[in-house]
Amino acid sequence: MDVQGLQMTQNSPAPGVYKRNPPIAGEAEAIEAAKNGDAEAFSRLYALHKRRVYTLCLRMLGNVSEAEDMTQEAFLHLFRKIGSFRGESAFSTWLHRLTVNLVLMHLRKKGLNLVSLEETINPSEDDAPKRDFGSRDLQLTGSVDRVALERAVASLPPGYRMVFVLHDVEGFEHNEIATMLECSTGNSKSQLHKARLKLRELLRQPDEQSAQPAGFNEVAV
Amino acid sequence: MNDSTFPDFDTMTPADFEKYLPDFFANGDGHVSTDPRLQTFLRNNPDCAALVRDLEAIADQARSLFEPTEPSDAVWTGIQDKLKHQEPEDDDLIRRPQTI
Repeated sequence: MDVQGLQMTQNSPAPGVYKRNPPIAGEAEAIEAAKNGDAEAFSRLYALHKRRVYTLCLRMLGNVSEAEDMTQEAFLHLFRKIGSFRGESAFSTWLHRLTVNLVLMHLRKKGLNLVSLEETINPSEDDAPKRDFGSRDLQLTGSVDRVALERAVASLPPGYRMVFVLHDVEGFEHNEIATMLECSTGNSKSQLHKARLKLRELLRQPDEQSAQPAGFNEVAV
Repeated sequence: MNDSTFPDFDTMTPADFEKYLPDFFANGDGHVSTDPRLQTFLRNNPDCAALVRDLEAIADQARSLFEPTEPSDAVWTGIQDKLKHQEPEDDDLIRRPQTI
């Protein structure tokens, strides 16, 4: 496997990720055993981390089939590289970063040049968020339906989805995203804002089955 | 970006606000609606205030998407299968498991 671009060294953990990745009981022993080729230990590591890795892939790719393929790749890669894990950061943080890098590499192979987000993966005019504040009489502001948001995120253009997932879902900072995507911090901020605007637009579209907006629930105050 | 690079908070136009909104969100805790510098502007521009509330609601709900989802059993089956049949790579750093 081409691992160019993968950061297998143990960088400082992303603050948002580290907070969500406390040490897991029995994990350290499983890691050490897995380094020695213990099959049962690999199985335990998979069981401990499969949901987290799969969810990350699913959010970043917006597609179940691709997400399962990338989850498989991530664990195969983990099994090959676990010997380079030195325990300087949380294992889950290390695995998280490995997975993000694999997904980014996968997207680059598919032709998405993430180096220059503005020029290469900006959506077409049709996909771009409309530059309006919305009319007040719609009164859409309220809570957002989780399922509708999940659907809307999956339908975002890849560049928007990537930055939205890394920042708003995974908790990375703009400077970390800029490093991962090889773009400027300003670019990351801009893409995130456009992603949220696009999501707002998608969530405001009336559901075909009802007269209610698709994603925003009215909140009684 | 600091305050000196922003327009005057009380006299800025909605267009100014839209231009600087990504930076307003990026600064502080990400909640523009509670930024004391923007209270007067948001009070005087309800459409901008509604936009901010919607974007904050989206960002807040995004955290719920962090909740893990279970992959299908086919993923583990595929991993086992590949581990059995793949040739070790040159840079493999561990002994490969023989029986998973």
